[in-house]
Amino acid sequence: MWTFNSLIGRMFALIFFPFRSLHPWFAMVFISFLTGLLMLFVFRLTSNQKGIRQVKDKIKAHLLELRLFKDSLPVTLKAQGQILKHNLKYISYSAKPMLVMIIPLLVILAQLNLWFGYEALRAGDTALVKVVLKKSVAPFEADVELEAPPGLAVETPPLRLVETGEVYWRIRAKKEGVHELRVKLAGQNVTKTVIVTAKPLARVCPMKSASLLDGLLFPGEKLIPSRTPLTFVEIIYPAKRLNLAGLGLHWLIPYLVLSVLFGFIFKRPFRVEI
Amino acid sequence: MNSLKRREFLKWGIVASSLFAVGGRTPHFTRITGKADTRTKILVLGFDGLDPRLLEMWMEADKLPAFRRLRSQGDFRPLQTSVPPQSPVAWANFITGTDPGGHGIFDFMNRDLETYIPVFSGTATEEAKTTLRFGDLVLPLRGGKVRNLIKGRAFWQILEDHDIPATVFKMPSNYPPVPTKQRTLSGMGTPDIKGYYGLFNYYTDQPFRINEDIGGGRIHQVSVDKNTVEARLPGPTNTFKKDRPESTVDFKVVIDPVNPVAKISYQDQEFILKEKEWSGWKRVRFHLLPTQSVSGICMFYLKEIRPHFKLYVTPINIDPASAALPISTPESYAQELEKKLGPFFTKGLPADTSALDHDVLDEAEFLEQDDMIFREGERMFEHEFNRFDSGLLFYYVSSTDQRQHMFWRLLDQSHPMHDPGLVSTYGRTIENIYVEADRFLDSVLQRIGKDTLLLVMSDHGFNPFRRGFNLNTWLFENGYHKLRNPWRQEDTSLFDNTDWSRTKAYGVGLNGLYINQKGRERQGIVNTGADSENLIREIANKLEQVVDPKTGERAILRAFVAKDVYRGRHLDLAPDIVLGFNYGYRISWGSPLGKFPRQVFEDNTEKWSGDHMSAPEVIPGILFTNRKVRAESPALYDLTATILDVFGIAKPEEMTGRSIF
Repeated sequence: MWTFNSLIGRMFALIFFPFRSLHPWFAMVFISFLTGLLMLFVFRLTSNQKGIRQVKDKIKAHLLELRLFKDSLPVTLKAQGQILKHNLKYISYSAKPMLVMIIPLLVILAQLNLWFGYEALRAGDTALVKVVLKKSVAPFEADVELEAPPGLAVETPPLRLVETGEVYWRIRAKKEGVHELRVKLAGQNVTKTVIVTAKPLARVCPMKSASLLDGLLFPGEKLIPSRTPLTFVEIIYPAKRLNLAGLGLHWLIPYLVLSVLFGFIFKRPFRVEI
Repeated sequence: MNSLKRREFLKWGIVASSLFAVGGRTPHFTRITGKADTRTKILVLGFDGLDPRLLEMWMEADKLPAFRRLRSQGDFRPLQTSVPPQSPVAWANFITGTDPGGHGIFDFMNRDLETYIPVFSGTATEEAKTTLRFGDLVLPLRGGKVRNLIKGRAFWQILEDHDIPATVFKMPSNYPPVPTKQRTLSGMGTPDIKGYYGLFNYYTDQPFRINEDIGGGRIHQVSVDKNTVEARLPGPTNTFKKDRPESTVDFKVVIDPVNPVAKISYQDQEFILKEKEWSGWKRVRFHLLPTQSVSGICMFYLKEIRPHFKLYVTPINIDPASAALPISTPESYAQELEKKLGPFFTKGLPADTSALDHDVLDEAEFLEQDDMIFREGERMFEHEFNRFDSGLLFYYVSSTDQRQHMFWRLLDQSHPMHDPGLVSTYGRTIENIYVEADRFLDSVLQRIGKDTLLLVMSDHGFNPFRRGFNLNTWLFENGYHKLRNPWRQEDTSLFDNTDWSRTKAYGVGLNGLYINQKGRERQGIVNTGADSENLIREIANKLEQVVDPKTGERAILRAFVAKDVYRGRHLDLAPDIVLGFNYGYRISWGSPLGKFPRQVFEDNTEKWSGDHMSAPEVIPGILFTNRKVRAESPALYDLTATILDVFGIAKPEEMTGRSIF
């Protein structure tokens, strides 16, 4: 899985490379544009374009019928039945492309979450590091340590929560760079990347986990080997918000709105029937 | 709450008008400050409470080289303070160029003429006049605001008339800021988010009580259960609800069973503190309605984890990024500063003297907090100074005042709270803040050009507060004040035991004495005219003769009769007599709250040990300038006239002062 994640990650890094020093909105508009085109392309390839066109024409015809024969109850009821039937047919035509698109879209969303979901630390910032131990490991018996590279400092002793098996530290970013924290436990080491940069757009993976699902949702780092007594290591980065005239928006909102908008704008030039 | 509605409206207005501004910052629609390019710039550094005797002593000892240099290059004078020399009164003299008769601020406190209960003299809060009720909900439709009660015009309003730009940083007595397009940030008088002048929260599993006469804090008894503490931060009163409950935010503290470290979490915040560590600014949002919330900022200080849990939280300051109450002009100025410099103290006097007084913070912790305030202010000054290219810049420092209030006991061996054990560590605290002020001045002197007139001023000096005078007890003992049940004398508070039908005089505020006058007070009994006049003179004479049996000294050096010392149109708001205490004396803690302790005199056993309620000649302020001063004995209101004069503006008729040059 890591090979796949790594490949996709590099592709997104390449796409966003020119945007790293620009405001995140530029990258957001660009990736929404690409997504809009991709969705159109996939839709065109995988959907029954002729069928969609026909069913939409039929719906329009029955809508016209409704207006023309609004005084005749039997005709109106029949037209409504037809509209419903063709709507269902339209949905069934759309289902296939949607099913085809859902997997790549999830992969895209997971990648975009790394770029737009979290604010990288700046030099001087602090963040919490959270380590969750496997249930078999008692936080007080396990001599868990956190070792920081020169660019980071561990500011507190570990804070251990017995009931949840969580251990927390506070770290401070001292200088810019991609730093690796080292969690030491039972003779094993797990590293976790910490991103410190003043650039407005950076790929920030908050979690490194032993779970496959987490590996899909946070595809920025390799999975923790299953024999390690840790469930996951998380850096609690500040949430990133896209500023629209003073309102902080979660990235998913502009992404979905803009992708759909671009899809609608380019459906005619690309002759795609939606 | 009207302001909240207006703010929401503004927010949506901003959204609508800049919808297409990619990544837009909050735009500033208001035109800010004058545009005139003045030939001379004026920089005013206001160090609250800087005392001329201490300054001279430490200048002579070569500890204040920058002040010495400024004195030799320009001039130095003691600066006549106000009657009484309380900060809100003194700074109002400077703001308006008049004495209290002109600006109407005679004391920290005034009284409600109907109930005799003390009220703040600087601001008035008006509730919404029209509301709409839906079940438990109360929605304000019209009215509701906070008013600054200062009369007359502020000098920066006059500068604005002449298109001269001014930036006024935390001027005391300027809350809410007077209307202007100049950049101003409100100062002393600005409340915390609950509307108090500072209410800290202290969470502990140890039995703890505070002196209610001082107040300023709330103690929360908590228990540590399975290494977890669950508690609440109290917020503003929810006026959208019929029964006006206090809004709260729940928070949780989880502590490590061995290590001295804890994690605090609430809303979307989560942070770790070590023992004896400050959190830095944390934002907290109090939800009043699903669509209405108020944002505040506070700092957490984890004082102790074991053996007792002790967590201190500063008063929750108004969030400058989203101010629920007016703290700046234009409104966007506070946001602009927050964006550039991060959250900052907005409460008028930010250092938590009450927490030190109640032993919630110790000396070191208080100084740590006050250092943060001083450094934060310096950063804000740098920001403004770097763009100061025309007009006037006023910058205010509160630490000089606050540290003298709290540490005079260690400078004064005859103070009841003098603690020789603390002297080696904190005995130089006051000297150190003077040295800090000198260092700050030095950095300014190195950077100002010949085109800049520098005025370094304080509003008053300082003296020890060793003995407290119970004015109301004295009035009671001398037959001017009658109690319904004299045997309940010591249980009395807020005049709740007073027989107003037989009372001739009462004390309210820190220096004020009022005659219970017919036609003015609701239950007044003393006739206006000769009766009242004679009574005032009689009491004033007697007060000036009062001798402290313990020291053999007169407690009140001057009992000023208001109409003899004030000019202006607002004499009706003045106390009838203003007490000017002798060196070492002040009003007691209880008397301003309408209490009647058994003794007329008492030792001051609080850490608040320095003060400035004396006769003005006892504690003048200071004035340093980089030009020669012609006036022999300049006063606060003369500086206002000087500022106008330097900019070539004719002094308004009502202004008392004259140019010092």
